[in-house]
Amino acid sequence: MRLFDGQRAWVVQRISALLLLVLAVLVLPFASPLDFSAWRAFAGGVLGGPLIALLFGALCAHAWVGLRDIVLDYIQPRGLRLAVLSLIAVVLLGVLVRVLLSLAAAALST
Amino acid sequence: MRLDIYRFDPESGAPPRMQAYEVQPEAGDKKLLDLLMRLRVQDDSLSFRRSCREGVCGSDAMNINGRNGLACLTALDGLKEPVMLRPLPGFPVIRDLIVDMTQFFAHYHSIRPWLINDEPLPERERLQTPAERERLDGLYECILCACCSAFCPSYWWNPDKFIGPSGLLQAYRFIADSRDTATAERLDFLDDVYRLYRCRTIMNCTEVCPKGLSPSHAIERIRLALLRRSS
Amino acid sequence: MDRHPRRLPVFLKLAQIRFPIGAIASIAHRVSGVLLFIALPVVAVLLDTSLRDEAGFASVRDLISSPLAVVAAGVLVWALVHHVLAGIRHLLMDVGIGGELERARASARLVLIAAPALAVFLLFWGLS
Repeated sequence: MRLFDGQRAWVVQRISALLLLVLAVLVLPFASPLDFSAWRAFAGGVLGGPLIALLFGALCAHAWVGLRDIVLDYIQPRGLRLAVLSLIAVVLLGVLVRVLLSLAAAALST
Repeated sequence: MRLDIYRFDPESGAPPRMQAYEVQPEAGDKKLLDLLMRLRVQDDSLSFRRSCREGVCGSDAMNINGRNGLACLTALDGLKEPVMLRPLPGFPVIRDLIVDMTQFFAHYHSIRPWLINDEPLPERERLQTPAERERLDGLYECILCACCSAFCPSYWWNPDKFIGPSGLLQAYRFIADSRDTATAERLDFLDDVYRLYRCRTIMNCTEVCPKGLSPSHAIERIRLALLRRSS
Repeated sequence: MDRHPRRLPVFLKLAQIRFPIGAIASIAHRVSGVLLFIALPVVAVLLDTSLRDEAGFASVRDLISSPLAVVAAGVLVWALVHHVLAGIRHLLMDVGIGGELERARASARLVLIAAPALAVFLLFWGLS
């Protein structure tokens, strides 16, 4: 959390937002794939895989700053605050790991 | 005209309540403060702060029909009845419409609201170009009424840690002053997840400032100044 | 420093405060963010399942078309659209565009109206 003090967190939130906007434009057209093989080929490919990974990475960073702001606003007791922030961190890390593993598996199968 | 006013007597031990009043405005009564002064003839226990009656001292800030404003600048014409008067939101209530401004002033003091310049004194005065002086417009006029900070949700949730729109606007007044040399230290002080970065640009502050100032704009300038510094 | 004891009352009944339109857009921005966060693990699981095998892909496809999912999707699509539009509004204000009161009010109104409209459009377009 030291890493994300003051200005740095705000900048991370803004940069990740811009990145998400750009990536969403690049990835979303492929979000309604017609069949399994096309979808897997894209997600496991050299372009699609890293794009989706980057998208979720930016998403988790963006979500972390936003949710941390909410917790800092509404939860004052230190112990409860730490517990809630830890829970959120675990969820976000879990999401990232799940997505990365999933993309790796798709890449290996193509 | 009918009014509904927040009453709280610290000595009675009773919780705050709303009290209905009815008062006949007379010719020449133009602002809410005129009505409140007339009300005190009926009920002299009704307590509120007031002084200049012209919108420069900031004493009579209160929540009027759900929005913060100065009673002396709020026109009676077009005022929705019953006029709901409550103390500034989020501030501890001392009595009726009088709130404790201690925390608010503490934040103001913390940003060091005075010119800091240790360079040798010039012959006559520290000069500014008209352009440099213009940079203070929209900042120096703050009357510390607290309408803004008392309307800011971020300030409501963390009044002890977030400096609030008024303090931040004043902080920028000195950062923007060409004669001040402590810019780096001022920015250092503000670069904090609570002091500055609780601001979410909700812009409630600018909506209610009775002097037409824009704390949200000043805060945006502080953020840019911090960005420029780190790049 | 505070001479007065903590038991002084505070007026903070949100229902009695008249919020400007910017504040409404702002709280919706926060709420939509939280909704998206709640949906995130679900999206991750759906992504994973859809990439596993043909059956997984089909099951995700079926789930998304179920009535319950459509309702949830409707809420989430609104959340995403509002969050993105409100976010763009914030990014523009960061660089000094639209920070004046009248412009800010107008852009808040635009976001609040465009978000559900666009969400409904996207939902129907997605369902077809």
